[in-house]
Amino acid sequence: MADQKPVADLSYKEASQELERIIRALESGDMELEESLESYTRGVELLRSLRERLADAEQKVSVLMKDVDGGDTLVDAGPADTSDELKL
Amino acid sequence: MGAWNLTGTAASAPRGTAKDALSVTQAVELAAGALDALPQITMLGEVTGFRGPNARSGHCYFQIKDDSSAVDCIVWRGVYAKCAFELRDGMQVLLTGGFNLYKPTGRMSFVARSLALAGEGLLRQQVAALAEKLRREGLMDDARKRRIPAFCTRVAVVTSLSGAVIDDVKRTLRRRNPLVELVCVGAKVQGDGAPAELIEGLARAAALDLAPDCILLVRGGGSFEDLMTFNDEELARAVAACPVPVITGIGHEPDTSICDMVSDRRCSTPTAAAESVAPAITELAELLATRERRLATATSGIVQAARRDLVACAQRARQAISATLAQERRTTEAFARHGCLTSPGYIVERRASELVQTADRFERAGVQAQERFARAVADLATRLRAASASISAPRPALELAASRLDGAGESLLAGHRAGLAAQAAKLDALSPLKVLARGYAIAYDERGVATSAKNFAPGDALRVRFGDGEVAGTVTGVVDNG
Repeated sequence: MADQKPVADLSYKEASQELERIIRALESGDMELEESLESYTRGVELLRSLRERLADAEQKVSVLMKDVDGGDTLVDAGPADTSDELKL
Repeated sequence: MGAWNLTGTAASAPRGTAKDALSVTQAVELAAGALDALPQITMLGEVTGFRGPNARSGHCYFQIKDDSSAVDCIVWRGVYAKCAFELRDGMQVLLTGGFNLYKPTGRMSFVARSLALAGEGLLRQQVAALAEKLRREGLMDDARKRRIPAFCTRVAVVTSLSGAVIDDVKRTLRRRNPLVELVCVGAKVQGDGAPAELIEGLARAAALDLAPDCILLVRGGGSFEDLMTFNDEELARAVAACPVPVITGIGHEPDTSICDMVSDRRCSTPTAAAESVAPAITELAELLATRERRLATATSGIVQAARRDLVACAQRARQAISATLAQERRTTEAFARHGCLTSPGYIVERRASELVQTADRFERAGVQAQERFARAVADLATRLRAASASISAPRPALELAASRLDGAGESLLAGHRAGLAAQAAKLDALSPLKVLARGYAIAYDERGVATSAKNFAPGDALRVRFGDGEVAGTVTGVVDNG
């Protein structure tokens, strides 16, 4: 619990891993009551954030392009067009 | 022969006559000799009618053909045994050998002394040889294949940016899991220079500032030769050496390239490769639902355990305090049962009875002392009389002395008598008998002095002490004024 980052600053993977750690710790049953209630609160927060991210997920696509001096630059390309599939 | 003209035409010049005719054997030998005279021939054609080596002899009989011609072929058992591949219909092969005429049937065959693959067959053989070489080097060992995270959130795709494949990958992942971030790295996937571009693409993808979790090396379906790019030795080595795990999806289901063999994960198609990098968003939602349940179950388990502990503690506290109270109660009740508290009069009673006994003893002692002194004085008087009888001269003096002695003895006794009388009077005043003499009485039950009417029930024995004696009786009734 020492180095808790705000949930919003965590990547999906980090948040998901922290949630799993919290659940395992709670399931081990070695926690003080106060600590477990804090963990539970944090877990619920992580869970809510993860759910929101799943609901709002927007695909990020970029293309690695060579620029004039030969270096690589990432150029945003926008999500795939799946409009035809969504009609199905 | 020739004696008959059965056709009605005149025998003319080019025609041989019976005289000139060869026997079949001669003719066949002539042809056979001509075929033998041909130099060794190498022939390219397609195998057809191959039914495997003859079960008995082990020799192979088949045909080799091209678009317009075909010829029987024989590969002797010993030659076939040295061959590095198995013949199959449709194979392009190079056969080196010569024609031979089998005289009993006159059938011409090509007898191959050596054979080699050509065309795609040759390519496949070369690919198989390269695969074997890399396998021996350990590039395909499972042990060196890297673990790919179950959920890759950043994925580089190395493929042609102009084909349908890159769109398939993007659409597959957008539908399956839009949380996966894609970085597309373009490279030629077939033709000259394709392996070099793909090698460079892998290096650029691996060198991204934020390293990807894995690299997808993908290409759509194509002919065997189209897919040959992915059998390139340098590209295969680059895949094996790539610092980021590589997932391949090249061609369609049955196609397997060398890149597939050395990659960290081989998928049958580009779409399958894309699907393999992350769980579907529905699975993630299910996982979250499961985790929500686990979180709630674990936490409520902890809270319930704490509550149970608390209840147990409360119960133990209650038990402890009631045990302590019971102990205190027992101690107090034991105190309460002491005689001094149940019947305080008993102490006075006991002391009084002791005092009575002491008074009796004192009285007796006084009487005895008086008697002793009286006897002693009488004795002295007797002795004095006996002594004085013998001493008559100083009689008057003696009589005087005797009179003084009497006086002295009397005054000596008088003091003691007066003291004794005073003490007796005091004792008399203190005696409970005196109290009894005033009309009070002491009631006794079976345990001793009874201080309360509650001590009795009808039928109980009762003893009453008066100043001058005791009365014993039985209780016939109890009136409680308390």
